[in-house]
Amino acid sequence: MAPPLTRPPLPHTQPWHQKRSVRRGAHAALVYALAVPGAILFTIPLLWMLSTALKEPKQIFLFPPKWIPDPLLWGNFVAGWNDFLPFNTFLANSLIITVSNIVGNLISCSLAAFAFARLRARGKNLLFLLVLGTMLLPQEVTVIPQYVLFTRLGWNDSWLPLMVPPWFGWPFFIFLLRQFFMGIPRELDEAARLDGASSGRILWNLILPLSKPALATVVIFGFIGNWNNFLYPLIYIRSMDKQVLAVALNMFRGAYGNANYQYMMAVSLLVLLPVLVVFFLGQRLFVRGIALTGIKG
Amino acid sequence: MEANQLSRRRFLQLAGTGAASLALLAACQAPVAAPSGGEAPAAEGVTLTFGHHWEAAFRPHQEEFDQKYAEGHPDVQFEYTYNTWSEHNQIVPTWAAAGTLPDIIYVHGRYAFPWNHEGIVVSTQDFIDNDPDFDVDGIWEEARRLYRYNGQQHGIPYDHGPMLLGYNKDLFDAAGLAYPAEDWSWDDFLEAAKALTQENQWGYGGYYNNIVELGNELGISLVGPWGGEVIDATETKILLDSDAARTALQWWADLIHVHKVAPLPAQAQAVPAGPWVAGMTGMFALASWGTPTLIESASFAWDVAPWPKGPAGQICGSFGSGFGITRDSKHADAAWSYMHEYLSKEGMEFMWGASGRGSPARQAAYDSWLNSAGAPAHAKYYMDALTNYAVTGRPYESLAGGEILDVFTRNTQLVQSGDMTVDQAIENILAEGTPVLEAAAKRLQGS
Amino acid sequence: MGLTAASTRPRKGLSLRQREELDFYLFIGLWLVGFLLFTGGPILASLLFSFTNWTGLTTQEWVGLENFRKLLFDDPLFWIATRNTFFYSLGSVLLGTLGALAVALLLNQKLPGTTLMRVLYYIPSIASGVAVSILWIWMFNPQVGLVNYLLSLVGIPGPLWLGSQQWALPALILKSTWAIGANMIILLAGLQAVPTSLYEAAKIDGAHPWDEFFNVTIPMLSPVLFYVLVISTISSFQILTDVLVMTQGGPGTATLVFVYYIYQNAFQYLKMGYASALAWILFAIILALTLLQLWGSKKWVYYEDQAA
Repeated sequence: MAPPLTRPPLPHTQPWHQKRSVRRGAHAALVYALAVPGAILFTIPLLWMLSTALKEPKQIFLFPPKWIPDPLLWGNFVAGWNDFLPFNTFLANSLIITVSNIVGNLISCSLAAFAFARLRARGKNLLFLLVLGTMLLPQEVTVIPQYVLFTRLGWNDSWLPLMVPPWFGWPFFIFLLRQFFMGIPRELDEAARLDGASSGRILWNLILPLSKPALATVVIFGFIGNWNNFLYPLIYIRSMDKQVLAVALNMFRGAYGNANYQYMMAVSLLVLLPVLVVFFLGQRLFVRGIALTGIKG
Repeated sequence: MEANQLSRRRFLQLAGTGAASLALLAACQAPVAAPSGGEAPAAEGVTLTFGHHWEAAFRPHQEEFDQKYAEGHPDVQFEYTYNTWSEHNQIVPTWAAAGTLPDIIYVHGRYAFPWNHEGIVVSTQDFIDNDPDFDVDGIWEEARRLYRYNGQQHGIPYDHGPMLLGYNKDLFDAAGLAYPAEDWSWDDFLEAAKALTQENQWGYGGYYNNIVELGNELGISLVGPWGGEVIDATETKILLDSDAARTALQWWADLIHVHKVAPLPAQAQAVPAGPWVAGMTGMFALASWGTPTLIESASFAWDVAPWPKGPAGQICGSFGSGFGITRDSKHADAAWSYMHEYLSKEGMEFMWGASGRGSPARQAAYDSWLNSAGAPAHAKYYMDALTNYAVTGRPYESLAGGEILDVFTRNTQLVQSGDMTVDQAIENILAEGTPVLEAAAKRLQGS
Repeated sequence: MGLTAASTRPRKGLSLRQREELDFYLFIGLWLVGFLLFTGGPILASLLFSFTNWTGLTTQEWVGLENFRKLLFDDPLFWIATRNTFFYSLGSVLLGTLGALAVALLLNQKLPGTTLMRVLYYIPSIASGVAVSILWIWMFNPQVGLVNYLLSLVGIPGPLWLGSQQWALPALILKSTWAIGANMIILLAGLQAVPTSLYEAAKIDGAHPWDEFFNVTIPMLSPVLFYVLVISTISSFQILTDVLVMTQGGPGTATLVFVYYIYQNAFQYLKMGYASALAWILFAIILALTLLQLWGSKKWVYYEDQAA
């Protein structure tokens, strides 16, 4: 590998509001006043799920709803996870598929996005329109032909229909990364290109390091998207030992409203935890101007 | 515009103009359905595959049955795909398109006819005719008719239930009322509903179900007691414009808007499992398949009574579910052997009767359900209804079943909310629904 | 990295421009192959189905443009679905984008607790499925629901929401606004990518925070904001789950939206041919809107590389 490209030195400073402490205090108060009530409001779904997860079945549909169950059945978490379905297997399956798909997406989408953002070529606009176009058709009408296709490939009841396509790009992420890449000053890679750097080097050594928030976004969305993907595993996976969490959660539901809601909510909450962890870790990469200011690596 | 029949080859040629997707379209053509009737019983190992809809809690029961079955048939193995109930009806056509249907699938009564028509589920008539041990007449005729196509039995029902009047004993006790009796008329019902409804309870307290809903089991239950019908026996004509049906629908609409003993849909909908399960309403149209939910979730005492009598007599709707052997099954004989035991008296008793899961489609197996923990005290009224006055609620012999139900709902919802008169709704339903039924009948004849 | 190595090697006989073009096709190669293998076929298949009366199962006849004729001239539900979808889209994109922008700006601060609040705002967009539907049915309850309770605090008598012909669709818009967490993340990431030097320069020029917002933040954020707008529009036109679980298109036809109508035709009525025709009309509508947005973006979206 060639030595790292030199970055133009840029001054390291803080935004205006962090300079003056008086203004900062007033500012912080304003932010909290606006954001905290909303944050509480937005937490309600989680509290609701928690409340239901701790209930006896006969308390779930009481009206008006009872927010604090009596008794609090913490055992629902254990029972929901252990007593009905092999959730440990589902967890492992979901993790393998999700991680692989995120890696695949990061690679394939970065490459395509870089090409669309930076490289000049004939037919580029038309191809970009094609990328956008594939997002526009509702999947209700392509799901059957696609299922037939994968079946003919012999991929029925396997993870391949879930795990292969992500390595070939995902339009939403190609578009997203393209938008971020286009926001990066072009002088940087023009200079590198004049120095003889190849497109691959520019992407790897310059664009990607400058795009950590964008890549973190892809990881966060890729995780939640794959983790919660319901329709495809539902259709493609038939054996229990290959099934994933999102489908398994729905298996508590019966035909006529019988659902063991307390277990369903309990397991749903457990299943949300990894998503929150990934989000928590991912959003730490959202640090202002991380590369441009050269504060941290 | 006249549709011209397209041969498979011609379609492929057309598709071929689409270059890369030729192979795909070839794939989309349904594989030739090989009739698997004359196949000899497999001597060595057979793996039967299933498309079930059981929720997690009920699966061990299924697998227990299969283990027992395997004891008598050591050469048979089992593979399951469990769909959720709501997605099952979307997945089965997807399987069918790719030729990957399992041997035996769950078939809801509403989907039986189109699936039979499309050949997803094959006829079992030959098996039945050659298998005198399988007591097909022991299954209610009203249940079997859902699964008949061109005079041939296709799927076999496992569960069939009528509409009865469920009631919340706690609310009746609190109001000092006698429980609904066997000889109740709808006047008695209305009186009780008024007494049960309290002021400032937003209309909860009296009666709740999707009032003025016309599909299948509920539709005939609402208009039948007044002598009306929803749809004719050829399922090409909507009969709601008769005086009897009109009177009946008005009577039901009045429960909400005149007597105010039933909630507006806005209020009823806003209770997640509905006001009945939440214990807010005294009476409910309660089918047998609704009882497991209550046993799990109801925090009140409840029971069932016969569906009340109307001016034209006593009648209610019924509906059910079954299983079918699919066209992709390569072991139709083994699949039939399994169905034979699964849907026999003993099979039904084990699966749905004693487990309390639902009212079995066989009269002989009914006692096991009546005595189970899943049945209310007076569950025998379900059997009385099936024997005496329940009829299977149409439509179930039209290719437009799903569509016509949506035509009904779009209009009846507005009657419930008070945005439309009963007369207007009937007029709309006839105007929108008749062409839909006629087009479906044409499709049926054309094929 | 294999690809990097390959493209590092100078190719003799190629001009810089040709090399760039070759790189372009190499870099989008994976996507292109994937499109041809996995996506293009099914898409094309659905286009062909739209000219048939395919049931999704076996029956299949070529009917030419009949499906499209019926849709446009003989199906009042199509127009109702179109109107409802446009209304929903307009409401949810506007509220969703502005809401997400507001929250992203608030939480784009180095203040204690912002991380926690980011997580909290993000939760509704990940908590999906039945759990949330049940919750929202409670929330919209006219008597004891939280929404009408909050309205009553400011003296507004709340409507019947999901049970009302007028308010059911606005209720779904309101619910969609709850899930602004996803857009918030993208905008946060976008805000973080704005070079601090620009704020510094604005400060030296003595710019008011307001000017700073309009002259630095918005232009620098515009590529990402554009993405949020386009994607929100696309997904709002494809709303299905909430309708399926909460209203089934009702009351009457109040929440009958496009993809729900497609879903009904495809899987409940077994009219896959008709559903495909519907889907392609939807495709044309969204494509037109996306092109409009692309065209309009030239006027307000600021790309660094164009400025260079």
